[in-house]
Order: sequence, then structure tokens, then C-alpha cells
Amino acid sequence: MNTQQENSMTAMENSLRQEGLRRVSGNTATFLRRHAPFNRMDAGALAFFSDHAQIAFYPAGSEIIGPDAGNVRYFHVIESGKVYARQAGEVTLTEYSQLHLGAGEGFPIGAVTAGRPSTNIYTATEDSFCYRLPAERFLELMASSPEFNLFCTQYIASLLDQSRRQLQLQFSQKANEQQTLNSPLSGIGSRTPLHVVPETPLRQALETMSQAGIGSLVIAGENRKPVGVFTRSDLLDRVVLADLPQDSPISAAMSPTPFMLEEHATAYDAMLAMATHGIRHVLVTDIEGRLTGVVSERDLFALQRVGLRQIRQAIDAAKDIEGLQHASGDVRLLAFNMLAQGVGAEQLTQFISALNDAVTRRILQINLERHAFDGIDWAWLAFGSEGRDEQTFSTDQDNGIVFAPPEGESVDALKQRFLAFALDVNKDLDRCGFPLCKGNIMASNPQWCLPLDEWKEQFSQWIRTPQPEALLNATIFFDFRPLFGKSELADNMRRHLLGQAEVNPIFLQAMARNALDVAPPLGKLRDFLTDLEPDNPGKIDLKKYGSRIFVDVARIYALATGVHNTNTGQRLRQSAQRLSMKNEEINAIVEALNFIQLLRLQHQYLEGEPGEQGHNLIDPEKLNELDRRILKESFRQARKLQTRLKLDYQIN
Amino acid sequence: MFGIKKLLFRDQPATQLVDDVRTGLEQWRDSATPGFDEVHFHSRYVVVDIATRSRQAGSDELQSISATVVRRGAIRPAESCFVDFTGELDADTVDRQLLAFLLFLGKAPLATYHVAYVEPFLQRVMRERLGVDFQSQWIDLAWLLPSMFDEKSHTPLPLDRWLEIFALEAGDGRRDPMENALLIARLLQMLLVRATGKEVDTAAKLIAESQAASFLRRTH
Repeated sequence: MNTQQENSMTAMENSLRQEGLRRVSGNTATFLRRHAPFNRMDAGALAFFSDHAQIAFYPAGSEIIGPDAGNVRYFHVIESGKVYARQAGEVTLTEYSQLHLGAGEGFPIGAVTAGRPSTNIYTATEDSFCYRLPAERFLELMASSPEFNLFCTQYIASLLDQSRRQLQLQFSQKANEQQTLNSPLSGIGSRTPLHVVPETPLRQALETMSQAGIGSLVIAGENRKPVGVFTRSDLLDRVVLADLPQDSPISAAMSPTPFMLEEHATAYDAMLAMATHGIRHVLVTDIEGRLTGVVSERDLFALQRVGLRQIRQAIDAAKDIEGLQHASGDVRLLAFNMLAQGVGAEQLTQFISALNDAVTRRILQINLERHAFDGIDWAWLAFGSEGRDEQTFSTDQDNGIVFAPPEGESVDALKQRFLAFALDVNKDLDRCGFPLCKGNIMASNPQWCLPLDEWKEQFSQWIRTPQPEALLNATIFFDFRPLFGKSELADNMRRHLLGQAEVNPIFLQAMARNALDVAPPLGKLRDFLTDLEPDNPGKIDLKKYGSRIFVDVARIYALATGVHNTNTGQRLRQSAQRLSMKNEEINAIVEALNFIQLLRLQHQYLEGEPGEQGHNLIDPEKLNELDRRILKESFRQARKLQTRLKLDYQIN
Repeated sequence: MFGIKKLLFRDQPATQLVDDVRTGLEQWRDSATPGFDEVHFHSRYVVVDIATRSRQAGSDELQSISATVVRRGAIRPAESCFVDFTGELDADTVDRQLLAFLLFLGKAPLATYHVAYVEPFLQRVMRERLGVDFQSQWIDLAWLLPSMFDEKSHTPLPLDRWLEIFALEAGDGRRDPMENALLIARLLQMLLVRATGKEVDTAAKLIAESQAASFLRRTH
């Protein structure tokens, strides 16, 4: 055959093949069009997928993809049959040990996107046919089809919810009866609480309680609006010991201003209120403030061995440090239980903080018995993560004292007394599981035990001269929160701080520059950069390269917009409102932070023995596929936040 | 008159072939036959199906040939081929199409459902247009399926029954020819796995098994 002849034959063969391909591809497209995301993709993108999708058969019981098979070469979409995915690696946060995939579902999105081996084992449980797209084509499609890209990204997010639910199921004995801490109060506790009007004679009220066999009674006025609660302990203190006649109205014996939450508040909120205020019941009202239910601590912790109330009581009743040591161990245990029940990071860290606050307050009280400061205004301050209500399982101490020396009193002498007191407190905190601060940011350090004026001057100085050390200090000390004592002093400091920040834009600019020093460890080729810490190759420091990025940016925006809160989530949400950032945008960012925090908590829980310092280094290779993907998304959110900061402060 | 019919019944086959077809044909004849002793995974199977139209009793007319490849366990869309004999075609075009189809096949083992039905159409068109005695190595799923999946049925069944048994979605009504070929290809994929399990693990063994199955069942 000469060249011309060859050409004509080649052309003919090509045209027959073209027609063959067109028909096979059309056949594939007919199937795909019935499933997401293909039904939303444009014709070109769908044809691209169909043109390159091979059809493979996997008999029941055969492994389709596994970690040992090297980098994943194909993205699979199940045409018929069933595929079962299970984790091969270390069991981590979002264990979804039983994931069944059926027709129209694709896998493994994470691994094929990243061009690495799958961490899951995919096995055909029935004879299955799959369309399989070569990895390089998958990536081309990700780049060219926005719908396909969105689907793959959202797929991960949708699995997050699913995996959370599964995590909760796993830990609960009676899965379908389990009420999670996310449930609204409208479905928890007593729905028809007994209540009496405030004028009810005491005797009649007590008879009501006795007949109903209840230990507490709600007193509600007009329109069933609660005005008080009467409990058995009130009976002892306010009736028997106070010699109150039995014909007095119940309003004379009740505890007024009961704590109330609306129905749509969650069990978390009730739990947090109980921990914070040391109460046992929370009244539930509708939006108009009418009584609709009562949630007791027992309702919330029916299944829990270590109860919040017991811990709270143990803390409040502790006579000495030994008693508190035990209680703070229980705090940790309770936190683990909550972690296992699927409580989110934001709530969990707030709980740990609330209970740790209680421990700290009790330690302060015990020490005040030996150090009296009567007549002097002072406050114990928490800094850093404690100041932000973001304590994890391993948090060392960051604290200080602010005091207002009375007229004519020697500041130095007073300071010496506070330092002696603080030293005792610091040591006791250490014994209760809050290790001494390596950087000596503690109230027993003369630098951080200051009169109000000096604190303000210190703040001003850092803001006026934003040198590296000043900026570093700002990241610790500007997240302060009063834990005990005269909180007005802290308010005063806060007003001063926000005022100073407002008139010194250079400072926030410098803070912003500083906050951009560390970028999230996203790789160009690989999912993650794991070689940033020379001493820990293969690991990522989730604090340094993760949560701190959010914390730093939130602080800047809070200072810039005059937000008083110190908690990062709250700072972000509140400053977002003032900066008119979109809700969904800020929610995604807070979610990302929460995920990183949850990962830290989980990691510390798995790695750290109680009392030992957990750490923040994780090996992303050991995460399951889902966690890896979410972590990557979370880092992307961090990058997004940094990009915004960069624009807002004109930093290149 | 459309279609291929008018182009058949040539008196002197192959003598009037245009140059490029004639030399192409020689090339195909000279091409090496692949070893049939490779395991299935390394063999290239071409699944062939035809569509015919009944013009009058006893003389169906070939309308199209659909073919796709199963190689390394997968059906590959880029290795598919469709020959359309409908429409207005001149003799040279038909010859070129047939030759291109032969070149696409190479000497690979062919698979279909009911060789006894498919093969004569192909043999006739090849003989009458190209003067080729089209003798291929066939794998006949109609006979092999009951032999390999005897727990499902040990007698031959209509194709649609097998699709039902294996829950392969075949769509309603008349299937287009390529769709049919793809369904047969899926059956072949299943069959290859099963055959490997029964140590019928090469093309040669499968062809032998196919011939034995059809012979035994027809004669006993």
C-alpha cells in the first residue's frame, strides 16, 4: 500500500472507530445522566467523561481499590451492584466503617484527586460493573467542569454530617433512642412541668410536690411566665431554717429569676448553663417566654457515668487541692465522653473551659483563705486559649492579676502580696493538671501581676511600638478574660485596648503582617506539606499551621471592629457582621476551625494519657480519607481567610 | 436502492477491488495471528454484534456491525467500531468499510451471542465483497454461558433472559446495535472471571470450550 492508499484506509478505519466511540459513549452518557452530578454537567463535560470511561467488571468479593495497590489510577462510578468501603488506616475521627455504595455513586474522590493510594479498601459485595475514568482524565474534568468540581468538593462536606452521625451511633448503646446533645430542648425532659402561681400558699405548694413525687416546682405568673423555682434545698434553707409560716405565699420561699432557655436552644446550651451557673434545672420557654418544659441535669446525663453536676459539686465542695485534683480528672473524663458522643469542638472547648474555670475559681478561693485582699479591687485574668474559651485537653497555664491599689496604699507592697498569693495558686493549678507555663506567663511573674494603670500602659506601649516581641505578646495578652474577682477591671482594660487599637491602624497592619507569616500547609502537588517541622518529618502541627491562623485573623478583625468577645468563633461571627461578610462564608470558616480543633482534641485524646501533655502533631497519612479531605478543605478556608486579611490590610 | 443488498452477488469476487483495498487485504492476510495462550487479562477479545433487517422471508439483510474490545478486563470505548451499511453507498466505500473492519479485528478471537446466526452474515459479505473466506475463532456466549453458569441454567437461553438473570439493565424496547454489543461484552467480562475460576484461563481454552459446548449440546 502506498502512502495515499494507507491514508485512505486509515481514514476509513478512524471514521468507523469514531462512530463506534460515539455510540459507546452515548450509551454511557444515558446511564450517567440519571445520576448526580452528571445530570447537571453540560453536554461537553458529560461526553468527555463518557468518551474516556472504561467499563469494568468486579465479581462479588473482589477488591477494587486498596491501599496496597499504589496510587489510585481510576475514578469509579458504579453502574450496577454494590461496593463496600472500609477504612484500612488508623481509626480516626470520622470513622465511617460501614459505607455501602450503590449505582450512580463514585469513589474514591479524595485519593484520585490527590493522586495517592486510597486509605480505604473498596470491595464489591455483589457482582458489580463500574465505569472507570483514568485519574488524569478525572483531573482534567475537575479543572474543566465547574459542576463536577463542585460535586467532588461538596461530596466531602456532605459526608461530614453523615460520619458525625455514625460516630455518635457507634458510641451509643441504643442508637435510635439516643438523643444527641444537638437536640433542641423542645424534645428533652419534662414537657408538662407542674407549676403554681406565686400566690399559692406554701403548704399547698408542698402538698402538690408531695403528691406528684417531684423535687422541684416551677412558679409561674401570668401567661405561664416563670418567675421562680422552688426546690427541696429551698425547703431547708428558706422555710424550715427561716421559720417561714406555711401560709406564706410560695413566692416568699422560691429562688427568683430562674434560668431559662428557649425551646430551640440545644442540650449543649442547657449543659453549658448548668456548668456555668452551677444549677440543676433549666426552664424551657417558648418564644413568648411561656413555660413549656423543664430540663434537668439528669435528663441530659442519664447515660453518662460522670455527671456534670457531680463534677461541679465536687469542685465547689472541694476542701483542698486533693479533692480538686480528683475533680479535674473527672473534667477530662467527661470531656472524653462528650467527644465520643459527637459534641462539636466549639461546644466542647467551651465546656472544658467552663469546668476548668470552676476548678481555677475554687483554687483561688481555697488560697484566699490564707491570703486576704479585703477591700481591694482585683481580678484573676486568663490569657491565651483559656482567655478565648478554647482550652483543649492539654493547656498550660496563662494567667495574670490586675488590681486597683486603694488611695494611699503602697503599690509595691500590695504587689508582693499578690505575687505570693499567685505563686501558691500557680503551684496548685499545676497539681490539678494545668502545667506551669514554660514562657512564665503566670500571675506569679511580676511582669504580669500589675495594677490597672500599668496594664493599660503596657497595652498602649505594645500598640504604639509593634515590635516582634510586642506583637507576640499581643497574641497572648489581648485574649484576656476575667476569671475571678472584679470583672469591671477587665472591662476597663478591654475598652482601653479597643480604643488604642482604633487610633493606631499601623498596629493592626503589623499584626496582620505577622498573622500572614505562617501559611496553611497545602501542597501544590501533594495534599499537605508535611516537612515544615524539621524535627517532626511527615507531621503537621495543627496548632501552628491550623487553628492559630484562624485565631490570629479573628483577633485582628475583633480589634478592628471593636468586638469585646475573645472566643475565636464568636469574634469571627461578630466581626463578620460588622464587615458585612456573607453568613455562609463565615460559617464555612468557623466550621473549618472547629474541624481542626476537633482533630486536635481527638488526637490529644488518643495520644495523651490523662495528665500528660498531649501535642498537636498529626500524621495526615494516618487519617482516613474523609478526614484528610475535610482537613484539606479546612486549610483552604484558612487560606481564604488569610487572603481576605491580605486584601483588607493591603499586604503583598 | 439503498443498502448493501445490491452490492452482493458479485460474479467475480475480489477481482475488481480497488488498489488500496486489495493491498490492504493482503496486509490483513499477512498480519500475525496472536497467540491464544495468553491469560484472559492479556488477551484482546473483540465482541461483535450485527443488526439485520428482514426484507423478505428467508433473506435478511445486514444493516450494521457493532464491535467493541474487552482488554485487560475492561471495555474500552476508544476501541470500538461501527460499520453502517444503510444509506447510499458505493461499492468501493463498502469494500473499504469491510476492510477497515477486518483491520480493526486483526486476528483477535471474536465473541458474540449465537455464532450460528452472526457468522454466516459476516462470511457472506466478506466473501462476496472482498473474496475473503472469513473463518474466525469464535467464542459463543449462547453456548458458553450455560456451560459456565450451569447453576443459573444448563440449557441455552435467549439473550434477554441472561440479562435478566444477571440483572443487567437492558432498557425497554428495541436496543441500538452498539448497546447490544456492549451488553454482550459485559456478559463476556463476567464469563471470563468465571472461566478463569474453572481453569479455562486462556483464549485457546475458551474457544475450545465454546466449540465443545455447542457441539456437545447440539449432538447430544
